[in-house]
Amino acid sequence: MSATTSTNYLVGVFEDDDVLMNAVRKVREQGVKIYECFTPFPIHGMEDAMGIKRSRLPRAAFMFGATGTTFAITMITLMMGFDWPMNIGGKPFAAPPVYIPVTFELTVLFAALGMVGTFLVVSGLGPGSNKLVLDPRFSDDKFIMAIDLGSNKNLDPAKITELLKSLGASEVNTKEVSE
Amino acid sequence: MGAHHKVSVDKEERYEFTAAAKKRILTWMGVGIVMTVIGIAMLALGIGEGKHEAAGAGHGAATHASATENHSTANAHSEANGTKTEAHTGAEHADVKADAHGATAHAEAGHATDAHAEKGHAAAAEHGGGHHEFHWTTRLWADLWHNAVFFTGIAIIGVFFVAVQYLAYAGWSAGIKRVPEAFGMFLPIGAGIMLVVFGLGHHDLFHWTHEGITDPTAANYDKIIAGKSWYLNLPFYLTRMVAFFGLWMLYYSIIRKNSLAEDLEGGTARWKKLVYFSSGFIVIFAVSSSMAAWDWVMSIDPHWFSTLFGWYTFASWHVSGLACITLTVILLKERGYLKHVNMSTVHDLGKFMFAFSVFWAYLWTSQFLLYYYANIPEEVIYYIERRDGFDGKYTALFFLNVIINFAFPFLFLMTRDSKRQIIFLKIAAIAILAGHWLDFYLMIMPGVTKGNSGFGFLEFGLVLTFVCLFIYVISNTLSKQRLTAINHPMLEESLHHDI
Amino acid sequence: MSHVTSSVREPLVTGGKTIKDITNDVCRQVEGKPTTAWMIAFAVALLVLAYGCYNLYLTWWVGLGKWGLNKTVGWAWDITNFVWWVGIGHAGTLISAILLLFRQKWRTSINRAAEAMTIFAVLCAASFILMHMGRPWLANWALPFGNTYGSLWVNFNSPLVWDVFAISTYFTVSVVFWFIGLIPDLATIRDRAQNPVSKTVYGILAFGWNGSQKDWGRYEAVSLILAGLSTPLVLSVHTIVSMDFATSLIPGWHTTIFPPYFVAGAIFSGFAMVLTLMLITRKVFKLEDYITLAHIESMNKVILLTGSIVGVAYITEFFMAAYSGVAYERYAFINRAFGPYWWAYWSMMTCNVISPQFFWFRSMRRNITVTFILSIIVNIGMWFERFVIIVTSLHRDYLPSSWAYFTATSTDIGDYLFSFGFFFTLFLLFAKFLPVINMAEVKAIVKSSSEPTAHKPATVVGAVSGSEANHSPDINKQ
Repeated sequence: MSATTSTNYLVGVFEDDDVLMNAVRKVREQGVKIYECFTPFPIHGMEDAMGIKRSRLPRAAFMFGATGTTFAITMITLMMGFDWPMNIGGKPFAAPPVYIPVTFELTVLFAALGMVGTFLVVSGLGPGSNKLVLDPRFSDDKFIMAIDLGSNKNLDPAKITELLKSLGASEVNTKEVSE
Repeated sequence: MGAHHKVSVDKEERYEFTAAAKKRILTWMGVGIVMTVIGIAMLALGIGEGKHEAAGAGHGAATHASATENHSTANAHSEANGTKTEAHTGAEHADVKADAHGATAHAEAGHATDAHAEKGHAAAAEHGGGHHEFHWTTRLWADLWHNAVFFTGIAIIGVFFVAVQYLAYAGWSAGIKRVPEAFGMFLPIGAGIMLVVFGLGHHDLFHWTHEGITDPTAANYDKIIAGKSWYLNLPFYLTRMVAFFGLWMLYYSIIRKNSLAEDLEGGTARWKKLVYFSSGFIVIFAVSSSMAAWDWVMSIDPHWFSTLFGWYTFASWHVSGLACITLTVILLKERGYLKHVNMSTVHDLGKFMFAFSVFWAYLWTSQFLLYYYANIPEEVIYYIERRDGFDGKYTALFFLNVIINFAFPFLFLMTRDSKRQIIFLKIAAIAILAGHWLDFYLMIMPGVTKGNSGFGFLEFGLVLTFVCLFIYVISNTLSKQRLTAINHPMLEESLHHDI
Repeated sequence: MSHVTSSVREPLVTGGKTIKDITNDVCRQVEGKPTTAWMIAFAVALLVLAYGCYNLYLTWWVGLGKWGLNKTVGWAWDITNFVWWVGIGHAGTLISAILLLFRQKWRTSINRAAEAMTIFAVLCAASFILMHMGRPWLANWALPFGNTYGSLWVNFNSPLVWDVFAISTYFTVSVVFWFIGLIPDLATIRDRAQNPVSKTVYGILAFGWNGSQKDWGRYEAVSLILAGLSTPLVLSVHTIVSMDFATSLIPGWHTTIFPPYFVAGAIFSGFAMVLTLMLITRKVFKLEDYITLAHIESMNKVILLTGSIVGVAYITEFFMAAYSGVAYERYAFINRAFGPYWWAYWSMMTCNVISPQFFWFRSMRRNITVTFILSIIVNIGMWFERFVIIVTSLHRDYLPSSWAYFTATSTDIGDYLFSFGFFFTLFLLFAKFLPVINMAEVKAIVKSSSEPTAHKPATVVGAVSGSEANHSPDINKQ
């Protein structure tokens, strides 16, 4: 076991999402810190069970959207009202009703792209990114619970293994990942 | 998760409409009626005549201030371009005649379609010719009609909501179904009021009902209205009105009967029947709601037309109905009823209010933008009257309408948390109800009373009366049957609804 | 998503599929060699595309004179095809966004293919915009870029400029939405890939996805907000397309019902196109257990609903033309039904209003042959609708001396074929190289919406009793 360059994980493999969620609750009750769970699909209620805070991406989306609105209104006002005013159909040069469609579209565009960009950056996703996959079957039909032994030094790995098995894990493996 | 934790439903739970509650509602209704009578007396005696703003007490000041402010905005607008100023100056004169002329002037200057401009001329002249001296009873009929149409709309939206839930196989709403279902009980009352008001006040409400207006030899002959007499004539109009109410009440009674029978019988046979009858109701409602909107609201301005009007009115009714459902569910929960209805369901009601406020704004914009754009006199007059007409009487309300019905619910209900806080939802629901009442005010008043509407004892008294009447009918209906459709096949889903 | 499902609901996944079956069934066609049927279809699509490209070349090299346009009818097949394709391009986002917001679980099996179809349809629509410009190398003039004319900007009063913003935003957001949905499935293919090329390519595309709960949490937030943004966006797109017509003064075009009515028509034709494609896909890829009769019936109900909304809108337009008393408006509608283009009008009425009424009958909604035929008829009808709106309103204008009749030329037809070749080429590539069903989403509903079978995993029962023990039934929880 090399001290700083690698991490040891206990990888519990579950067959069912409800079993995993129940196991997560029980394991945390026992004071075991869970590193992460890797699942083929999002499990409703899992964030609560694991104690993950609700994502703040909606706020990011709102801010990006507001930026889009401001950008659109400013752009149209400057172009139509000041830089090159044109009399079109006898309407005022910069008539607010005319703004509605383009302002709406740019709001949506900014909000969507900004939020998705934030998501990719925050989650470390992107072309070429290779996030830790402890058991490739997560993307098929297995529900993986990973426990970082380094952050559970006070607990006996054998006991945790036993606990996971008793909670329904079909297999429990140890995996060493070098950084 | 959540699959098997039991959520218990109080199967016999009924709303207890206590004598004290009845008394309270009836007292307030009495207050409303007294206020109405005072309002009528004041109008009849000419007290406060010509200074309606002052009659509105505290309100008056606020309205006045914002009206002035909006005026200056309107003026600033017109300065931005030469052709438009003319139209505005025209509009600033008090009466509708000048208004229409303004629009015509605008048309001539603004765009070159001769045919349309000429038409505008004709319309303006005829409109001017058919104008009568204002009598205070017109205002009374307009107020009554406005409230009756608005509250009847909420009632029918209750039935519509139930039908949609069946058609969509919606599971989440099964636990609250009895609430919108109760709204339908107001239909016969709404129908009665509307028929009586129409019978007595149609002359004041609907310009096209005037004698001789379709007679080429008469002094007040109106060529355009005469052209519509195949549709706008008293027998056909009344037939339609009776038919719509008859069909709505018929379907409501079938839906209600099956729903109550399901409580006793169980099984899924009634549910299947309800899906079947709901589809029938939706077909009828799809046509009748639009036609009702043309008849009851659009034909007040008999020269004016808009293909979107039916759906626009429906959108306004719909979001009011949703707000009313939300408010009723919340009030019941606050009083300890409907414990099995969880916050996820309430959250969903909040989402509905949010989404359909946006939908209303979408239709409002579609209608406004297209008429603003084309600027055809006989079309755009509708908005000129409401935005700038009658000395800017409705200007503040015109903008308030968009703010309270779109901007406010949009920003206020945007976050997840706000849709899960009872107090936020309450504020939003009340604002939406008030806002759409105002929307109908703006659809009806400028057409019927021109510049002679107001906010006085009469208006506030009538609203209070109608609100109390509505609450009384709904409470009474809720107290008569179980608060929950206990054998609804989707009930279990709604109990475990979790988002 | 609760596992409680009412007994009156039909299962959405049949054949007792397990999660592993889903992976295998969907990945099979991505991993296997192309089938003969696919090769033939692809060859035909390429052939049509080649013929279309030749016509496109003629259109741009010779000029728009190759089209049948005349001095009165300045817009005909080009804009008809544009609106038709944009309309078809509404179904994908509707299914993935609006049905997500309405929590319709049946959307999960069809949303992937529908979204892909949306993106390709929008590309086809955009190609007609470039075509009708005549000089596509000046397309950037439609964007507000500063230029050598002293920063003469685009005219923001023009609905055509709104269109540029709407279509490009819609395309961008749809692609993003679609791709975000693909990421977990691409990871599945990456993790199963045998040869290094696929592993690398799908690995890059999968963005390093590892299915962690933190990522899933954000992913779900992103999906929900993208759905919330896409819903008004999808309405806005056809609204703005309708305003290309409705802001004008032309009788038959200038009518306020256009925005919502165009949207309903778009959903109508989009669902029909999804059905056409999915009925073939489910057969060829043997996905009958995922795209069941229940799915087909639900889609047919949407077709019936939107078809009837469109019907109500037709009647409303007709009524208002009569009621308005405007002579020009009246004439426009009488001319539509009984003028020289009567055949287009009645084709539209038959295909759009009458044919969907068959779907009132459950047996028709669940009949695959009937559904397939009607789905094509609906799209023919919707093409005629746009043709009727555009050409019949234009061909007799205010001056009888300039009345004219439009006849399509072979280049008009060839350019239309171009879009078909383009569309099917892209769709066939998608169907071969990407999973046509959203595996992650179907996996998430399989437990609650699968057909009850004898061999359901026994562990579920144990787990449920376990969760019951520490989950207090606090129904008023925030």
